[in-house]
Amino acid sequence: MTDPLVQFRAVHKSFGSYVAVKSLDLDIQRGEFLALMGPSGCGKTTTLRMLAGLEAPTSGTISIGGRVMNNVPPHQRDTPMVWQSLALFPFLSVVENVEFGLRMRGIAAAERRERAMMWLGRMDLQGFETRRIDQLSGGQRQRVALARSLVTEPEMLLLDEPLSALDAHLVIRMQGVLTRLQKDLGITFVYVTHSQSEAFAMADRVVIMGHGAIEQIGRPQEIFRGPKTRFVAEFVGRNNILAGPVKAGVMTTAQGPVPVLSGDGPMEIVVAADRVTLSRDRPAGAAIRAAFLSEEFAGTGIICYFETPDGAEWKAQVTETQLAELHPESGQDFWLSWDPARVHVMG
Amino acid sequence: MRALGWVYLSAVFLFIFAPIAASFIFSFNSDRFPTLPLGSFTTDWYMRAFSRPEVWQAIANSLIVAGVTAVVSTFIGFATAYTDFRYGFRFKTAYLALALLPPTLPLVIMGLAMLAWLSQLGISGTLTGIVIAHVVLATPFAMAICRLRLSQMDPALEAAAWNLGSSQWGAMRHVILPFCAPAIVSALCLTAAVSFDEFIVAWFVSGLNRTVPVMILEILQGNVDPQINAIGTVVFVTSMTLVVAAQFLIFRKRQDD
Repeated sequence: MTDPLVQFRAVHKSFGSYVAVKSLDLDIQRGEFLALMGPSGCGKTTTLRMLAGLEAPTSGTISIGGRVMNNVPPHQRDTPMVWQSLALFPFLSVVENVEFGLRMRGIAAAERRERAMMWLGRMDLQGFETRRIDQLSGGQRQRVALARSLVTEPEMLLLDEPLSALDAHLVIRMQGVLTRLQKDLGITFVYVTHSQSEAFAMADRVVIMGHGAIEQIGRPQEIFRGPKTRFVAEFVGRNNILAGPVKAGVMTTAQGPVPVLSGDGPMEIVVAADRVTLSRDRPAGAAIRAAFLSEEFAGTGIICYFETPDGAEWKAQVTETQLAELHPESGQDFWLSWDPARVHVMG
Repeated sequence: MRALGWVYLSAVFLFIFAPIAASFIFSFNSDRFPTLPLGSFTTDWYMRAFSRPEVWQAIANSLIVAGVTAVVSTFIGFATAYTDFRYGFRFKTAYLALALLPPTLPLVIMGLAMLAWLSQLGISGTLTGIVIAHVVLATPFAMAICRLRLSQMDPALEAAAWNLGSSQWGAMRHVILPFCAPAIVSALCLTAAVSFDEFIVAWFVSGLNRTVPVMILEILQGNVDPQINAIGTVVFVTSMTLVVAAQFLIFRKRQDD
């Protein structure tokens, strides 16, 4: 593999007594679509802002293209960002917004107009150049923000939850626009989001952060099916977690003994909600008993929520037909079973 | 109820504007004393008032003082508001309270304090002295207007400018100032109006360099003369134009958010 474009080495950032990012080591490759994902307050936005030079690391080094950037002010970096609020300039027209970066770099008026118009065309915004920002729709503003950031032809684009203000159907469309753009340009995208559907749909690699540290890095599939820590298992997807000591193929859990295929000593296993089967009678094999709480329609299926006797929440994904056959009532006991070969062992 | 509301509103406006309207009407009335019925229409009082060199001198003084006060207090007010917007620091509440304090002081106290202080500096009775006093009075207004505008600004806007290659000064010039332009013009108008109208402090510190309000009092002390109505009408129209312009700009800027 070639040299990474960005290297975080033991990066630490605190605001007063609050630690936002701790001992962060991360390589970002040239041309990859990397998503930084985690709940709010996990340090993902701070990480992005440090990359843009808007925050300086308290300790550690950040290098871009092999050069240590810790004390380089934002305007001397080539790390344009698409902001959550878009931060378009309301007193400038569409084309003046797009030109801004070129103007700040002292590029002559004629050339910058030409380059800005090229990007407006590329973003399907021809004919809108003299409009004011408040005369555009949400999706159009989004594309102006993208054009404004890309007009200087950077090696890397930073995106801070850029789709969070859009309607659901626009989000899907913009995801398509962004992935295609990233592949066409071949530049690095660093995308901060708390939405796993956005991260998993677009990114080549996903970094899951929690409490200022990296919990797991991997391809979307790896993270979805193979969470390494309890934090990731709980944050990503609809997972059920069982923990307990394993001896002779049986795990002793708070929900009773459960057969497992291998292992010895304390273990944590993840049973994905879509791999849980519901039944009224006790099935053979791995199963626990839980009381039905409620159901939730989730587009691809229906998520049923259960409570085990010791108070843990379990989720099972069923189809509409299955739900109609079972017609569960609140408080009713069910057996939740799964194939021990299709669980994920954490750690 | 609705009709009653209109009556009430009209009564309030009548109460506020009747004296000014009377002054305006009598400034064109040929009678020496303000009595009804009115005499004939005349612009004589304007002619007489504006043929006096001391009136022109006072107007010139007032315009110079108002202009310089507007520029200086808007600059200081904007800088104060931007400091508040951009930086967090200890004692910020105290800083803001101090910055907004001057209008809450009784003007007589302010006038006396200014007189004592400016005499110590040896600039009492000069236009510079009046400007200093008026800047103290007007700056909080300029600051309040600029602060309001900055509070409407997405904080990411400035960072976005840096991110796109602007230095700190570049972002100030290309983003903050254009964004605040309506507020700045509005603050210029309002502070000019504050200075142009201001009488008490100017009376204390003006000495021989009288501004228009001070001169009006001096004419009034001599005798009641309809020339005062004429001058008063001109002052009122000037101030109202500035205040309305300021209001218009404050109102209009809402549209581009």
